Amino acid sequence: MPAIGTFVLHSNFIPQLTAGEYELVSEQTGLPFDVAPEHTHVTVAAPRYTMPTDQILSTFPPANAEGAFSDRLPQIVLKRRTLPWERNPEGLVQPSATPWLALVVVAEGEAELSVTVPVADCVTPGTNLLDAVQDKDVQKGLYLAVTETVVKRVFPCKEDLALLVHVREVDIHDTELANGDDDGWLAVVLANRLPVFDTANGKPVRYMACLVNVEGQLAALPPPEPPEDHFRFELVQDWSVLAAIDPKVGPDSRIMGGINLAGVALPGAGLLLDAAPGHGALKAPPVASKATHPSPAVGRPLDGSATMAEAPVGQQWRNVTEKVSAAALDPDAKRLVRDTMASGFRYPIEKFAMEKVLRFPVLAHWSFTTTDNTSFETLMQKLDVSLVGTAEQHADATIGGPGPEVVQTGHIGLHHHSRRGDPMEAWYRGPCVPFPTTRDKVLPGGLLPLAHAADQLRRVVPDGREDLSLASAFEIGRLLALSQLSVVSALIRFRSEQFGIGRIRELLARLSPYVIPEIVDTRVDLGRFVALQVIGDLVQNQAQMLGPRRPIADPGRELKLRGDLDAVIANGLGLDLALLRKQSDQVGLLAALANAEVPMANRSGILGIDQPAVAALRSALNSDLSRALQVAAPPLVRRTTRAGRSAAAIPPIDALDELIAQTAERSPSDEEGGA
Amino acid sequence: MRGHISSEIMLEAAVSAAKDYAGFVSDHDPDDGNHVVPGELRRFLARLRLLHGVPFSYLIPDAALLPVESIRFFYIDRAWTDALVQGALSVGTISSADRVQLEAVYPAIRSEVDETERSIRETDDQSLLQGSGGTITGFLIRSRLVSGWPNLHVRGYLRDLQPDDALTTAAESNPDRLKVLRMERLAPAVLLVLFDGVPAVVHIEEPRQGIQFGVRLDKNAPATARSAKVKVRDNQNGNPVPPETTFTTTNSVDVPFRRNAPGVINVTELRKRLAAKAPNSGGTLEPNEYALQMLCFPFRQVFGDPNGAAGARYFQLDQFKVSVSMEKWQATVASNLNKVKP
Repeated sequence: MPAIGTFVLHSNFIPQLTAGEYELVSEQTGLPFDVAPEHTHVTVAAPRYTMPTDQILSTFPPANAEGAFSDRLPQIVLKRRTLPWERNPEGLVQPSATPWLALVVVAEGEAELSVTVPVADCVTPGTNLLDAVQDKDVQKGLYLAVTETVVKRVFPCKEDLALLVHVREVDIHDTELANGDDDGWLAVVLANRLPVFDTANGKPVRYMACLVNVEGQLAALPPPEPPEDHFRFELVQDWSVLAAIDPKVGPDSRIMGGINLAGVALPGAGLLLDAAPGHGALKAPPVASKATHPSPAVGRPLDGSATMAEAPVGQQWRNVTEKVSAAALDPDAKRLVRDTMASGFRYPIEKFAMEKVLRFPVLAHWSFTTTDNTSFETLMQKLDVSLVGTAEQHADATIGGPGPEVVQTGHIGLHHHSRRGDPMEAWYRGPCVPFPTTRDKVLPGGLLPLAHAADQLRRVVPDGREDLSLASAFEIGRLLALSQLSVVSALIRFRSEQFGIGRIRELLARLSPYVIPEIVDTRVDLGRFVALQVIGDLVQNQAQMLGPRRPIADPGRELKLRGDLDAVIANGLGLDLALLRKQSDQVGLLAALANAEVPMANRSGILGIDQPAVAALRSALNSDLSRALQVAAPPLVRRTTRAGRSAAAIPPIDALDELIAQTAERSPSDEEGGA
Repeated sequence: MRGHISSEIMLEAAVSAAKDYAGFVSDHDPDDGNHVVPGELRRFLARLRLLHGVPFSYLIPDAALLPVESIRFFYIDRAWTDALVQGALSVGTISSADRVQLEAVYPAIRSEVDETERSIRETDDQSLLQGSGGTITGFLIRSRLVSGWPNLHVRGYLRDLQPDDALTTAAESNPDRLKVLRMERLAPAVLLVLFDGVPAVVHIEEPRQGIQFGVRLDKNAPATARSAKVKVRDNQNGNPVPPETTFTTTNSVDVPFRRNAPGVINVTELRKRLAAKAPNSGGTLEPNEYALQMLCFPFRQVFGDPNGAAGARYFQLDQFKVSVSMEKWQATVASNLNKVKP
């Protein structure tokens, strides 16, 4: 395991077996009896026509990216370190140090990416693959159709293949390098072509990187050539004229040839028409001819003087990038994205090329656009570094006019119309300033200055002009808040919750005599609170609110006595005071009182109630009693009579009847007793 | 006890409510505790403070202030962003009572939004920084760097922690690494970055989308004869051959191309040339050694104050040290005076 933040590069990692069907034969000898050899069949599987997506760790440049990739070699990182050597590109069983995978970069218009076809059609006809029928990982695959010329110019040589693939062992703690990889071993396939920018025309170039299988086709790869130290960008072949072909043209004329392309020389045809097709002498890009053919059924004449109806190239690639992004959102995204990324690489080259067209199976492909010719470093070094508020200084003051009026504080003078319509100049400065500024300090009392309207923030600076910076900020903040309904409602809710509660409490505190409780988290039921307060007040201020309390005992009548108290009492009780005093002197007051003779009320002759009066009282008592009884139990008499009328009609006696009967029996006896 | 509600009472109640309930906690956020201002509103105002949604012409009022291929550093004017927030708060203040209340509660709003500012751009597994609002700085960069190299790495450091070419970076939780409050592409080629503090150095780094391989194209070559070079590395340790900044005949080779092919490298020939120049190559290059030579590491641009010019404005004036005793000095003065006397 390499140290953290480092990695180790290895040349290759060649497996012991290449992919294919194997038969293990185990024989045992030297035994006294015969043992039949055991045949075990083993299949060593490896991708051949498509790369499983879980084997691709990353690609550079990223798929569908636009950027300055001119000086970086495209690469694809595979997760299985042995993958590039799992097949022998020469079609042999033995492992080989030459990998069978190559990363080929073609520009838009140079090659054709097929639609899915059966894998048998994915290689150049006549190519002999090892075990072609059985050993296929998928039924249908893609292929790259390229003319021999493009292969000669763009494809790596056989000798290059091994140099373009290496194995990298990374520290897996460094997730930036190998996120999701298991063991930190990766196989990297580099391209041999720089995706350069078209500096001559200054336009972006769209490239497609294809991981192709070169198995069995090593002979088609270009031989080594003497190097050159310079190159210039131009498409090896430009088949994009085929995009202009009328799709209504039937297959016959395509196959039979002879389509009138209005004098446009197709790349391959151009080479053939050339009287002396010298090696490597590339035909110049299609030139518009001045031929005066009648308007053809196929395509349009390419005439430099005529205006092109097509969108500029810059727009075309931009459209593709946008289309790919849009296609990625579709549910059927996987197919759509691949299809859309391949657009521009779908010209039917095979049908028109006059030279041999080779097919290479494509295991993975992605496209990107080189939009710039600069490097990160040069751009960074050339950046104009400054603080904000530094206006661009033209070397030639006459270019672009006098520039904005910028002062050292970062303010800029702008045209301004006052509310009356007078044109004037005002100062403005955005939130970005070239020096630290101070912020409003807290005023005594804990408050901060706060503006309620933008006009409060208008300032007049010493030169007499208005400074509208803060007023503009206020207004843009107000508009931004107003632009979002949720913010407006949040503001209003905030006020009503916080301020509204407090205001009602204050109002109640003023209206009610009670001390309203502080606002806390728990809700206060105002009705209950008032009820409790009222009861509490009633209890505390009973005398005022409910009236005086009745005393437990009433005071007695005041006695007014005249004369000697002893004499009066003795007289009232019928005692003989003189005797009592006399005795008390002898035996004490208590003994004297005990011995005193007390006159009794019921002594005959004292209370006279004669017989007639007793009778009158008794009769009055009886009449009162009977009246009271009638009020208390009036129906009793009738019930009794009805119950005794007919025995047949009498229902079974229940508890109520018994009670009534008892009452009826008791009533006369009460009367008797009372009498 | 009063029997009726007069406008006078209402106003009194409103004024006293505004003064007394400004600090009333009305928001109980399970995430960041109790606050006076509801979380939804707090986050909106904090986003506003970080200039979310502010039209670009309000940030840079004239294109000449941010020309093409330029970077402009700045401080954020707190007064401006406060005015922005005040404008947003003024929405729906209908009556004087509303305004009195807003004035009373505004200090609480301002300090809470100061805290919330820091939580707008939360990164995973980094603890939340808290505290009152400090100085916000930042920069705007308008360049092809932004459009051509998406996902630039931007880091600001309170002090110059490490050498400019250090391979590692300080973790985002390092107290000397300033927290990025906002990093957003406002336009395809314009990037706005706001830092929570005043950085001493700012690093901008090429995106690290895996290790890359490549060459250095000659930018000044004519379109018809473009060329490229590759720096040579020591085969033993991978160190580049000095000098690092320039291309010489000893530390680089010309990249050979295939004839008449647009940008196709003649790999075999390049290997030969590299093998001839690279130290410790032994005359040939294996595929891994070839890959080592072709490695391209991300480029890092450091913005800072290498000469300390900004700090030179402040001179230490209190560096007076006694070096001569009083007696000695008096004696020297007396003897000098005697010499001068006629």
